[in-house]
Amino acid sequence: MRNVKKALTAALLASTVMVAPVFAAGTLTISSPQDPGNWDPIDTFLVNWASVATNIFDGLTYRGPDLELVPGLATGWDELDDGQRIRFTLREDVVFHNGEPFNAEAVRFTFERLLGEQGAAGPQQSNYVAISEVEVIDDYTVDFHLSEPDPVLLTKLAGYGAMIVPPQYIAEHGEEHFDNNPVGTGPFSFVSYSPREEIRLEAFADHWDGAPELDNVVYRFITEPSTAVAELQAGRVDIVIPPTIPVGMIPTIEAHEGISVVTVPSPTVQALRFNTQSGITADENVRKAIIYAIDRQAIIESILGGEAEPITSFQSPLAFGYDPDMELVPYDPDKAMALLAEAGIGAGATLQIDVRGNDSTFNEVAQAVSAYLSVVGINATIQPYETNVLINDIIPEGRTGEMFQQAWGGWTFDYDNTAYLMYHTGERWNPYDSDPELDALLNGQRSITDRAEREAMLQEIARYTADRALEVPLYNVNAIYGVSDRVENFEAAPDSRLRLTRVSVGE
Amino acid sequence: MANSSASSNAPAKKLNLSRFKNLEFVLGILLAGGIGLAVALSWLLFPDGGRAVNLMARLTPPFADPAHLLGTDPLGRDILARVIIGGRISLTVGIVSTAGAVIIGVIMGLIAGYYRGIWDMVVMRFADIQLALPFILLAITFIAIIGGGLVNTIILLIVSQWVQYARLVRGSVLALREREFVQSARAIGVKDINIILRHLLPNLLGPVIVLMTINVANNILLESSLTFLGLGVDPTIPSWGGMLAEGRTYLQTAWWISVFPGVAILLTVLGLNLLGDWLRDTLDPTGRTRI
Repeated sequence: MRNVKKALTAALLASTVMVAPVFAAGTLTISSPQDPGNWDPIDTFLVNWASVATNIFDGLTYRGPDLELVPGLATGWDELDDGQRIRFTLREDVVFHNGEPFNAEAVRFTFERLLGEQGAAGPQQSNYVAISEVEVIDDYTVDFHLSEPDPVLLTKLAGYGAMIVPPQYIAEHGEEHFDNNPVGTGPFSFVSYSPREEIRLEAFADHWDGAPELDNVVYRFITEPSTAVAELQAGRVDIVIPPTIPVGMIPTIEAHEGISVVTVPSPTVQALRFNTQSGITADENVRKAIIYAIDRQAIIESILGGEAEPITSFQSPLAFGYDPDMELVPYDPDKAMALLAEAGIGAGATLQIDVRGNDSTFNEVAQAVSAYLSVVGINATIQPYETNVLINDIIPEGRTGEMFQQAWGGWTFDYDNTAYLMYHTGERWNPYDSDPELDALLNGQRSITDRAEREAMLQEIARYTADRALEVPLYNVNAIYGVSDRVENFEAAPDSRLRLTRVSVGE
Repeated sequence: MANSSASSNAPAKKLNLSRFKNLEFVLGILLAGGIGLAVALSWLLFPDGGRAVNLMARLTPPFADPAHLLGTDPLGRDILARVIIGGRISLTVGIVSTAGAVIIGVIMGLIAGYYRGIWDMVVMRFADIQLALPFILLAITFIAIIGGGLVNTIILLIVSQWVQYARLVRGSVLALREREFVQSARAIGVKDINIILRHLLPNLLGPVIVLMTINVANNILLESSLTFLGLGVDPTIPSWGGMLAEGRTYLQTAWWISVFPGVAILLTVLGLNLLGDWLRDTLDPTGRTRI
């Protein structure tokens, strides 16, 4: 009886799957690994929110796949009063999807909402606290008054919490309605949303940058990489966006006709950070020995199939603050053993590496690291955690092993965004270390508006952390997209924020 | 073959059946015993514990390199060594958790069945509650609260499995305690503990042993699924479920990573089930054990 039921369910499932894939002309289907669950810009910090929402909303500035900052809803801006005031000239004749006009009032509303009570409940507010007031000069001119200069502010206005939202629409329908029925000025407007299943968008013909080529876009939320790739192979999905496809599946996609892999260097960097407070890694020499003991180049060439770049500090080479002259610590097991002997660590010392259990590629990397450490006499065990447990409990509460995985996105491509949160005393991501000298450097660079001077300071911070061996900087991974051949004009975005205005689909 | 009369048909049938039973026994011993032996010898065969990483030799296909007969995984580790060593975890979990469940379940069943009354109520209602909980829900809750790892996995399996033994034993005790030999022992004033140990326990062991063999096989499968879901043991220690999970990414390009541990699970479970079947027919010919 039970078997009969099973067979029936299987048949039912099979039949629904068969019915689904009928492509309307000009419909693009994208597989995204995560449903953010809330489409309000001030309620999220997830990159997979942005990969959808960058098509619904616009910011005052815009940053595309080339990472250049260009005008968005603002056509131009001037820095006044030594960087304490920024005057934006707004684009005219722009409308929201509901027909409401975009003007200075919408900008003021957006930022008052972000910096007020509504914003305080979400994770975005802290990125924009430098803004003290938004003053409306006339319908198409606004002044941003800053409590202190923020060198990264213009970049931050191109994404996330700074997306311009419609004041009348929110006043009419309420905050809760807006969470699941987003309205912006972007090239696509919201159609429908089924939690954990899909979100549908359609072209917004009145977009200020011209109507999109596509008619419809469907984002399906598929967490399991093999399912996403199978759907891509079957033609039911056109693009699989990162972070879905593990390096190990690249050959699977390449071997299949009609689909291909597109990779591009991303802002995501991986490091194994140290517990600098207890265990054998409290000793700087031991930390240095561990860095010497790991052959990062070999790991990148084999396990990562070359889809990564070694890094010298915890930032991507694309980031502002990266020092191309810093040298990579070479693989040198003899030196590692000498350092360990100097620190009085004999063969058989143990340490634990905490990793995200669902990151299959990094699990392989961690096991390779464990093998390299065994060569110099350190016995490393691996403790996998559920990702949310690791980043919300284990790391902030300082309950990690001697080493732990830290993956970092840093979408602003500014080292300040990483370094301050990783190294400043008392920060959530820094449960172990407190270094007054490093704190002073981190605070110092924040008030400097001169780009060259600030870049030099950020590079000094990077060198300082390398001198103290605060982490094993591993690599900067490529963003891996799986793309069907029917997709045209596709340009892979390093930060997964894929704007689809010019993309089209063939037959 | 020479039988022609109708009357000799029955014994011939019996003979065929027992031959099949013998085959069951031989196959069961060969499979379970062979794998058990290989795992027991793994300390001698692979002193490095299957940890030797060779990134240059990663993803070698099987039968291509005599040094890696069954190929290598994404870190260049030998699959053959890891499959055999992986058996340590699977067999340890299977055997230890079954033993634990048997000890607790038999004691609980004896108490409930022999003393009846409030003991019976408490133990059996507890067992009913336990049986109403789906295993995966229990597993996820349990591991979320006390964490993963080898010992915790074993504890989880004991907690979820003792009930079947308690029920089996209680049922048998209810029948046995009314039998003459037990009644007469009570009449002449033998202590309860002696009745339980000398008269009841030996008469229960047959069905319990049968259930055990099948339970070991079942627990090996459960451990593999738990590790596959990332709820089980440390990934540096090879285990069959863990290897299956690791190989999932490579299923279309390097099938051997997950197929061989899968085959190992299949053969072990098959061997144990054959042995269990044979034991049931030998120890419990009336088929009282219902599984």
